[in-house]
Amino acid sequence: MAHLDRMPEPMRSHLAELPCPSFKDQPWVSGQSLSRRRVALISTAGLQRRGDRPFEGMSGDYRVIPGDIKARDLVMTHISTNYDRTGFQRDWNVVFPLDRLKELAAEGIIGSVAAYHYSFMGATDPSEMEPPARNLAGLLKGDQVDAVLLVPV
Amino acid sequence: MGALAHYLEREGIPTTQISLIREHTETTRPPRALWVPFELGRPLGAPENPELQRRVLLAALELLDAAEGPLLVDFPEDALEGADGHDQDLDGWSCPVSFTQQVSQENDLEKLRSAFRREVAELLPWYDLNLEKRDRTAVVEFSPDAASELLGAFGTGEQPEIPKADLSLATALRLAAQDLKAFYFEAATARPGSALPSSEEFNRWFWQESTAGRILKAVKERCLKEGDKSLRLVGTLLLIPLDQS
Repeated sequence: MAHLDRMPEPMRSHLAELPCPSFKDQPWVSGQSLSRRRVALISTAGLQRRGDRPFEGMSGDYRVIPGDIKARDLVMTHISTNYDRTGFQRDWNVVFPLDRLKELAAEGIIGSVAAYHYSFMGATDPSEMEPPARNLAGLLKGDQVDAVLLVPV
Repeated sequence: MGALAHYLEREGIPTTQISLIREHTETTRPPRALWVPFELGRPLGAPENPELQRRVLLAALELLDAAEGPLLVDFPEDALEGADGHDQDLDGWSCPVSFTQQVSQENDLEKLRSAFRREVAELLPWYDLNLEKRDRTAVVEFSPDAASELLGAFGTGEQPEIPKADLSLATALRLAAQDLKAFYFEAATARPGSALPSSEEFNRWFWQESTAGRILKAVKERCLKEGDKSLRLVGTLLLIPLDQS
């Protein structure tokens, strides 16, 4: 579905022109087996707690999502109108699979679920996200997280 | 998305990710990525399909056990039966309220606005029922009444009051437009036994049949004529999807 060459205009050009950097280095951190890992979710869907500040623009800021949040308290304020929101409106797991992640932890397939998760707003210039991402790495380590699942929208 | 993986991994945090646009992931080359063949907005596949969501989640997480990379793996397409969460029958979904006749009869702005008010009033009980049943709404800042008043007033040439003092008019219009769409979706899917529309079916109904779609197009037209740069940006990019303008 989301193959650029199968997408009709003007969406194809719009997506092809989104900022998309390449990197010279190839970082790789190994770790323990999945069944021992503590996993956090990081979404770029512009998710926030109900009552938190809506996403306004492209400044690379992020919002904190507590691990015990309920579906009714998580909302989406991404500025783009060019993707489907009805899936999320019906079932948050289609964007933010926290219920599924907790099930995997209960079954012992992953070690545990992080105490905090995070959301950026995608379509932001990636260089704007670098300083906050560095701060986030510190927060994740403080939460003993050793696996992050990044989820686009 | 791929850039975030680089930044975090450089700081010592192992990452895996879902990829929706394969070409972007081929360029950024994050350490581990699972490409999925789903539409934008549905990275885990489909709402109310926990089995599919679980398979996608597991396939992405299992990349963490690989010994070396970078890895860009495709989610197997043969696992996609029923992934879109509806029965493929384009005539199978209909909204509990039909508006086509009303819209075609309303030409001047005052009539358009009163048709919009009637439409919102007809949908409100369905929205309330849905909220009661599901204990959740995707509406964020503007109640259906507040959103429709703000957008209706601006779209028909009035200078509206912003019900939230801390928001600029541009931000208020953008958030109100998303809230209005969420309200329409939740109301339209509340009828007992009604199937879930695909995003395409919902968009066709909202943008081509409802008065709300016409109001948002009028809001866009007015934004484009305003002196304020942020209003013009909202009008150009942030109200109407590219495939509906």
